[in-house]
Amino acid sequence: MPADPYFKKTSTRKMLGECPKMRKRISLYSLTFSLPLFIWQVVFFVFPLAFLVALSFWTVKNFRMQPDFDTINWVTMYGRSIFWQSYGLTFAMAAAASVITSILAFPCSFAIAFKLGPKARQLAIFMMVIPFFTSYLVRVYSWQIFLSDNGIINGFLALVGLEKIAMLNTVFATMIGYLTLCFPLVVLLQLFSLMFIDRTLIEAAHNLRCGRLRTVFEVVIPSARVGLVIAALFCFILSFGDFVSPIYLGGGDPTTLSILITDTTKSGQQWPRAAVIALTMIGTLLAVAFAAIRFAYKGREQ
Amino acid sequence: MQSEPLVTFNGVIKKFGAFVAVQKLDLEIHKGEFLAIMGSSGCGKTTTLRMLAGLDAPTEGEIRLSGKPINDLPTWQRDTPMVWQSLALFPFLNVIENVEFALKMRGVGAKERRTRAENWLERMQISEFATRNIAQLSGGQRQRVALARSLVVEPEILLLDEPLSALDAHLKVRMQSVLQGLQRELGITFVYVTHSQSEAFSMADRVVIMSKGIVEQVGTAQEIYRAPKTRFVAEFLGSSNIFSGKSDGNGMLATPVGKFRLPQDGTSPQKGRSTTMVVLDTRSHLSVEEPGSEFDFVHAKIIGEEFTGATATIYLEAEDGSELRVQKDHDTLAALPIDVGQPLYVSWRPNETHLVSDA
Repeated sequence: MPADPYFKKTSTRKMLGECPKMRKRISLYSLTFSLPLFIWQVVFFVFPLAFLVALSFWTVKNFRMQPDFDTINWVTMYGRSIFWQSYGLTFAMAAAASVITSILAFPCSFAIAFKLGPKARQLAIFMMVIPFFTSYLVRVYSWQIFLSDNGIINGFLALVGLEKIAMLNTVFATMIGYLTLCFPLVVLLQLFSLMFIDRTLIEAAHNLRCGRLRTVFEVVIPSARVGLVIAALFCFILSFGDFVSPIYLGGGDPTTLSILITDTTKSGQQWPRAAVIALTMIGTLLAVAFAAIRFAYKGREQ
Repeated sequence: MQSEPLVTFNGVIKKFGAFVAVQKLDLEIHKGEFLAIMGSSGCGKTTTLRMLAGLDAPTEGEIRLSGKPINDLPTWQRDTPMVWQSLALFPFLNVIENVEFALKMRGVGAKERRTRAENWLERMQISEFATRNIAQLSGGQRQRVALARSLVVEPEILLLDEPLSALDAHLKVRMQSVLQGLQRELGITFVYVTHSQSEAFSMADRVVIMSKGIVEQVGTAQEIYRAPKTRFVAEFLGSSNIFSGKSDGNGMLATPVGKFRLPQDGTSPQKGRSTTMVVLDTRSHLSVEEPGSEFDFVHAKIIGEEFTGATATIYLEAEDGSELRVQKDHDTLAALPIDVGQPLYVSWRPNETHLVSDA
């Protein structure tokens, strides 16, 4: 059969010539590995987000939600001064928490990274992980014992003859709560960026007449900038959405957005309005995260 | 040479725990000289440099700079800029900011800083890269930035820790001439640490050879090459034939490969004393016939050959397995049967040998 080998030849040639098909196959191959992540994103992020967006256009009549397409919730919420007050306050408190936590955490992570030996450093890292063993709620409750009017701190003050200080149900207490939430994580994130700094850079700075403290600002912080910014960003994200500290330590006053959400859902089944608040928060966090990452990598791109 | 040395190491010892990195170092570095400290890794050369820079503190002894003891002076109060092997350029600053760094630390005003940094960029021929990131530069360009960064403060002394080791061979030679030119023009002292013989010998006025924390020899390239003082130096340079044996007290050295005349320099070792004698490979000869009585010789077989430009080095093995080497020009070698396994006589004139210490 002479036709057979000829046919075979052309078919081989055809196969080799079909580049698009090959490319398709390769992309399918890589897709196999990115598929789980893709599915995860769709199921747990895109789908709920889409639902939240849809929900924000629903209406509530006689304490019952019904699917709708009405901008009334957006108009109502954005028209209320309490919403914008609470928004500004939550933003400011989260920003303050990330600055304060970063500043307080830095000496700690700096000491662990540069002053401790390898053994002591391991122990310190372990100690920074321990707080995660206990529920955040439990840790916040224990702060109440310290901060309340008849708590440990005021008891101590009374013992030395000083007046009581009202600490519980203040912004100060909320900040303590944010610190409790973020401090160990911020230290760990800062630590890992500090540990990867090339030590010869520090020596070089010293050698070029840069004193010890100045080297921290001129070399250590710029070198670790990406890690430091990301640590602060995590603190902002966690504090911005936190409900536990503002309610159990701050006493719900002033009202943060997280408290506003619960209040809104409780008052007349206003889930659509709560969705508006939640979407505003997500939008804000996306914008802040984007800006922070841009700032962290500024001047690094090649 | 000069009356007052710029740097003096006075019995300097450096220990890291139980490990002694530098053992009782006495060394003087003169003003305006190009000094190379050479040795294999772990010999203490980098530690010596770091102690001078103030990055490591001596365990014992004293280091003086311009006559003043600097042991307790932190590195940021010394004017001893260093160029690192990794260059240690700041990746978060661009080229000109890197060069300006030391000036900024000294409180030089922004305008003057910029002018002085620009001058140095021009001098190093890297002006066009002033606003580039360090990551965007080639190895040679980074080298120039590192030099400019250290030299912009016009120091009296510059410390260099194997700065060329990361460059390819071609670039290395070019940077060598840049370094040498700079040192001549500026007239400042360079202390250059390297493991490379060719770098040390081609650039330095004086070379210090270290081994296991001890200075083996100090001298010009010529002095060290012609007359290595110790067995270590002779072996490290790898350009001599080394014979070890016992002196018979009558000016002869008994070795496993024969009895040779010792050099007549008035330092004839006592009878029975272990003695090591060396003769340069360029002063050794090859012949098929037994050489005349004016020569001492060893019978050996060729084991290999290496071309080094105008000359070639023939490697031979003596009867006891020790290796010998002879360097000759190609014309001389053409007249000889150079084949692996060929037996030949390796000979030398007794007055061209000299003794080295065994330490």
